Amino acid sequence: MLDLDDELMERYQKGDESAFTLLVRRHQQPLINFIARFINDRNSAEDLAQETFIRIFKAAHRYKPGRAHFKTWMYHIAKNLCKNELRNRERRDKYRVDNVIDSGSDSKGDSEEIDLIANTPANQAFQPEVALERKELRNAIQKAIAELPEQYRLPLVLRDLQGLSYEEISEVLELRSGTTKSRINRARLMLKDKLKPFI
Amino acid sequence: MNCLQAEEYFSAHFEDTLDYQTLQDFEGHLAECEACQQEYSRFQESVKMTQQLPQIEPSPYFTPTLMQRLAEEQREINGVKGIGTGWKRLLDVFRRPIWAVSGIVALILAIGGTYLHQEGFLFDQDPVSTVETSVRTQENRVTPTPRQPMQRHYVLKQVSYTNASTRGGL
Repeated sequence: MLDLDDELMERYQKGDESAFTLLVRRHQQPLINFIARFINDRNSAEDLAQETFIRIFKAAHRYKPGRAHFKTWMYHIAKNLCKNELRNRERRDKYRVDNVIDSGSDSKGDSEEIDLIANTPANQAFQPEVALERKELRNAIQKAIAELPEQYRLPLVLRDLQGLSYEEISEVLELRSGTTKSRINRARLMLKDKLKPFI
Repeated sequence: MNCLQAEEYFSAHFEDTLDYQTLQDFEGHLAECEACQQEYSRFQESVKMTQQLPQIEPSPYFTPTLMQRLAEEQREINGVKGIGTGWKRLLDVFRRPIWAVSGIVALILAIGGTYLHQEGFLFDQDPVSTVETSVRTQENRVTPTPRQPMQRHYVLKQVSYTNASTRGGL
């Protein structure tokens, strides 16, 4: 039996364009959340999420409902786009470091990181002090996640922030189930050490 | 079970997926080891904190911008369809890398084969016999003389001597 995503993809393949719009609406928020948490940048997250949907749109005729899982396919595409983006940034940063002598003026990354947390609606609490504490804690968690090596950060975000099952994560990352479990455990242990001052 | 082994089971215990024997070993170790108790407590806390991070909402511009881009993509796809079904199918085939590479290789072989054939490197054709044939054609094939292997050899040898002497050799 087809799940709702597969059913929508099938309807879209048969010419119902509104089915794709519904797919976008169902997945846009989790997808943006995943990308933003993984690359630690909200603005680029929207661009990459758009690119992911466009790629899905273009390849939709090749999708076989019932044989693949739409969600894992979507995260797989997004993951590859994110990795490319991070690689490009690394190259750009390297170039910038090589060419810009004054590294003190380069604080854009930090401000983007804080924006990512500040723009979340859950920050609108009633008490300003509590809100500030929560914001600090969220900043710390996001920073700790961003500092994890990519091979640990990716499965951790998929598991603890996106709520994917181990099987789904293995499918997205093309890893064996045992490797996925061990990487998630290792990532959580690293995170625990980084968050020690807050626990 | 020692502390390092216990650490490996933190996630499985947190998610309640340990089998009975491992669960007994793990909880037995934790009951005896205060350091692991503390570490596991911190572990649980940090995982819960991470899982409670709020979801990031899309900006109000996200959906309209995406829909606009998708409409543009659709127009582009329709444009390709407009070329004709046959061409569309051909383009689809060549979008697959293996078919594209095979097509390019076949094209190179065809062009290369034609060139070699014209230059006379294939099927025992040499420039001299080609010239002879053309001369014979011009003379309306009055006396078709059979090819003499020895004569041909002689002519070729002459040519090679001439080439060698012009290059400053023999």
